[in-house]
Amino acid sequence: MGVQVSKMMGKIFGTKEMRILMLGLDAAGKTTILYKLKLSNQDVTTIPTVGFNVESVTYKNVKFNVWDVGGQDKIRPLWRHYYSGTQGLIFVVDSSDTARVEEARSELHKIINDREMKDALLLVFANKQDIPGHLSPEEITQQLQLTKLKDKLWYVAPSVATDGTGIFEGLAWLSNNVKTQPQK
Amino acid sequence: MATTLPYRPSNDSLSASNNRQTSGLPRLSPAASFIGRSPSSSHGSFRRTSTENATSSFRPRRCKAQYPLDSPERHVEYILVASFHIDRGPIMEHQYPAAISGDESMLAELMLPDQTHVRSQDWTMFFLHKDTSGDEETDSADGKKKKKRKSQYHGNQAGADIQDEYLDDISDDPDSSDDEGGEGPPLMYVLNLVNTKQDNTVRRGAVVKAMAICTRHSFLHIYKPLLLLALEDYFKSPFPETLASLYDAVNAMDLSLMPKMSILERHILQSSNTKDMFLEKFEQMIRQREEEELQDGECPPSPKKASRYALPRDTHEYESKVVYNDIPIPVKIPTVIWPETVGDFSLIKLIQTFAVPHATSPQAFQAHPHLTTSGPFTHPIIVLVNAILTQKRVVFLGHNRPSGEVAEAVLAACALASGGILRGFTRHAFPYTDLSKIDDLLKVPGFIAGVTNPTFANHPEWWDVMCDLPTGRIKISSHVEPAPVTEGLLFFQQQNSLLPNSASSTTNDPTGDTLFIEDILRSISQRHGENAVRAKWRAYITKFVRVAAAFEEAVYGASNLYIIGPGEELSPDSPTGHQTDASDPTTLRGHGYVWVDEVAKQRELSASVSRIEGWRNTRSYYSYIQDIAAMYFPARPIQRPDIHHHHDRLRSLKLSHSEAAAIYLALSHSVKDYAGICQLLTVAPENQAGLFYVSMGLFHPDQVVREATADLLGRIAAHPAGRHFWSHLGRFAKLGYIRVKREQDAATQSPISGGGSPVPTSPGASFGGEPQSLVGVAMGGGMKRRS
Repeated sequence: MGVQVSKMMGKIFGTKEMRILMLGLDAAGKTTILYKLKLSNQDVTTIPTVGFNVESVTYKNVKFNVWDVGGQDKIRPLWRHYYSGTQGLIFVVDSSDTARVEEARSELHKIINDREMKDALLLVFANKQDIPGHLSPEEITQQLQLTKLKDKLWYVAPSVATDGTGIFEGLAWLSNNVKTQPQK
Repeated sequence: MATTLPYRPSNDSLSASNNRQTSGLPRLSPAASFIGRSPSSSHGSFRRTSTENATSSFRPRRCKAQYPLDSPERHVEYILVASFHIDRGPIMEHQYPAAISGDESMLAELMLPDQTHVRSQDWTMFFLHKDTSGDEETDSADGKKKKKRKSQYHGNQAGADIQDEYLDDISDDPDSSDDEGGEGPPLMYVLNLVNTKQDNTVRRGAVVKAMAICTRHSFLHIYKPLLLLALEDYFKSPFPETLASLYDAVNAMDLSLMPKMSILERHILQSSNTKDMFLEKFEQMIRQREEEELQDGECPPSPKKASRYALPRDTHEYESKVVYNDIPIPVKIPTVIWPETVGDFSLIKLIQTFAVPHATSPQAFQAHPHLTTSGPFTHPIIVLVNAILTQKRVVFLGHNRPSGEVAEAVLAACALASGGILRGFTRHAFPYTDLSKIDDLLKVPGFIAGVTNPTFANHPEWWDVMCDLPTGRIKISSHVEPAPVTEGLLFFQQQNSLLPNSASSTTNDPTGDTLFIEDILRSISQRHGENAVRAKWRAYITKFVRVAAAFEEAVYGASNLYIIGPGEELSPDSPTGHQTDASDPTTLRGHGYVWVDEVAKQRELSASVSRIEGWRNTRSYYSYIQDIAAMYFPARPIQRPDIHHHHDRLRSLKLSHSEAAAIYLALSHSVKDYAGICQLLTVAPENQAGLFYVSMGLFHPDQVVREATADLLGRIAAHPAGRHFWSHLGRFAKLGYIRVKREQDAATQSPISGGGSPVPTSPGASFGGEPQSLVGVAMGGGMKRRS
């Protein structure tokens, strides 16, 4: 189906661009996901992001401009400056950090309740699925209270960013659903 | 050798009461020349060393130090260290000698620029508004105390009425008439170095630390090597002691032999490439120091201790050193510091960044009357300058560039629009800022900011003009406020409808900006150097201000931008070149910018209406008005006639003999003393033919004019700065000078000229038998210096 959609998009628009914002608590794995997307087959080691990273990734005829913004609590108020024009939100959760899932839920709801984000797709990466004691995607869905969301397209993808498991599946979901979004 | 500089009693009577340092009181006529009154001291001076020349004839005053030893002001006031905490984000680690008393986390955020994690090293600069006196910040104009924050990032200043702020400061030091107008409480400049070290032994693999130096000196770039060493040390020993040793080292730097220069002297020095310009002042500083030491009995009177203090190799820089951890680190401090010149930036680099893409494939701008003054294909650099002059919000974006690079671009842009003449740009500049300061930034009406975060490009409502450094493109925001229709605009629209011939744009470059940019680019490609380009921009901004003054006179009947000299009137029936008092050549009328004819004037004014009107409500406009009032005496010791105007007439107009005569006589009668000669030299810079146009008076058909010109040139040649200008003058002019002098001596043979000089001057002996005339000495001297 994804292939069909991107074929159709290709016919109409050529290559399509999509602005993606990737947020999450500190050390959730945002930068690792970004560079795993960008450099699929390489090992990625990251250090804490001061400010932001931005990279373009082309996948299935869609050019994703992915913004990855640092997650320390003090700099979270800056996230809102990246909202305008964002078509998709990737929210990364450390599934093994059960102590901070509630904090993640609160931050996520703050973001998607913002007026500028009301039309954005929501992809949640339940990351670090390889670490023992992690929450399952279903548990993450529940803990983040995603089922409460109205008028929102969302999807939870299990992932292990360090070896790349699951991240392209997540991206495929975004590219398949981008057509329902209003044009920028 | 024995060139006589004639004694003219008629001038002397006027001048005796005038003293250069009559602070505050208007001087109705230019002060006397020392030369004119004491030929005995001047005659031999050509043979002596430059120092003696200077002291004996021109500089009886003690030379003051720019940064005296006993000054309570420290070179560096604070040293800060911040780091990026992996859980908490940016935090401040240490501050020395005390906490800077402000919002710590704000400072820490500024010290850790965006994307520091992708490079191992980065520089930034930012400015703080911090009051010098006491502990309460009186940041805003009305003197209200700001709540808690004492040192503030200046975004917070937002709505403050800046005009008042400047007014308060101007009056605070009436004695130092040499100083330029107040700038508000001086900014605290912060130079910051950040290092990212990958380290597998720590959680999340890296340590990010930044060290900053806070100083009130605008030449903060000299501290770069020290920060590099100190931050490295701090990684090894992260304790306040590391900060303390840096603090002590930089504050022990000795700049006390750097002479203080007046505004005119600084102007001359900067526009000159002569490496020993004003060397006399440095010599005098050393001599004063040696005399003091002798008095104190500090050092034994050694016979020749020439090597104890070295003279600068180039007077544009003062060399000193900082000893840090027993390593002497040489530093060079610029001797001429203009307002709005902060750090080391390159105008050439800034211009080329935007000129090259424009030259290869020009892109049309969205039209805005303040900005696109030469149509949609206005040169991007002109758009940038227009934007700053008309107080737009300008953002420099350098995605994936070090933040030091955007900071440099911002500082260069400030200097570009200032030209050293206008100010108020750096005070509202944010060399590096990020998203965390955006709310404060947006409260500032008109700013220049540097960012590395491309999200700024997605927010056209945040800026009016976006300069993208990686692509070299400038973009005008779709959200820019339209230019209001003003009185001046209507005035010129009416005029143009009345004058059909000027309305049709016969030239496609009515502002002259296209030609100007071409000239700048030629200078750059011929490698004339940064200094030459800065001098050209200075001339450009000077012209802009003078054109604006002419515009105001045309539209509003009077101008705030020019103080007309005594006896001058602002009316069309007081034509330029007319002498109010026939017996006094200095009452020559006329002022302001000189156009070839009325049509040219109308054309240029109407092309510049929009940006001038756009400038007329800005901070830089109001501070300029205050500056010309505050600097009236220091910058213009000769108030009458307007020597800039009349020198321009010599340069750009075809004058009749009698018109030219009036100018030469006026110059010769008004330009007498040290400061007066300085003023004349500022309007005849080396890059604009120097004294050439003045020297043409040596060939005037009227002998009186020739002699007056020769006298003037004689005074200039004996002037510490003027002697360099004289030596650059062509041989033709020098021969003309000799001829006039010979005629003069032959004709008079009078006791005055003979008495003035102890050496008997039979004209033949003076110029024939002994060819070391002024010419020879000046030329010879010039060559010796160069070698």
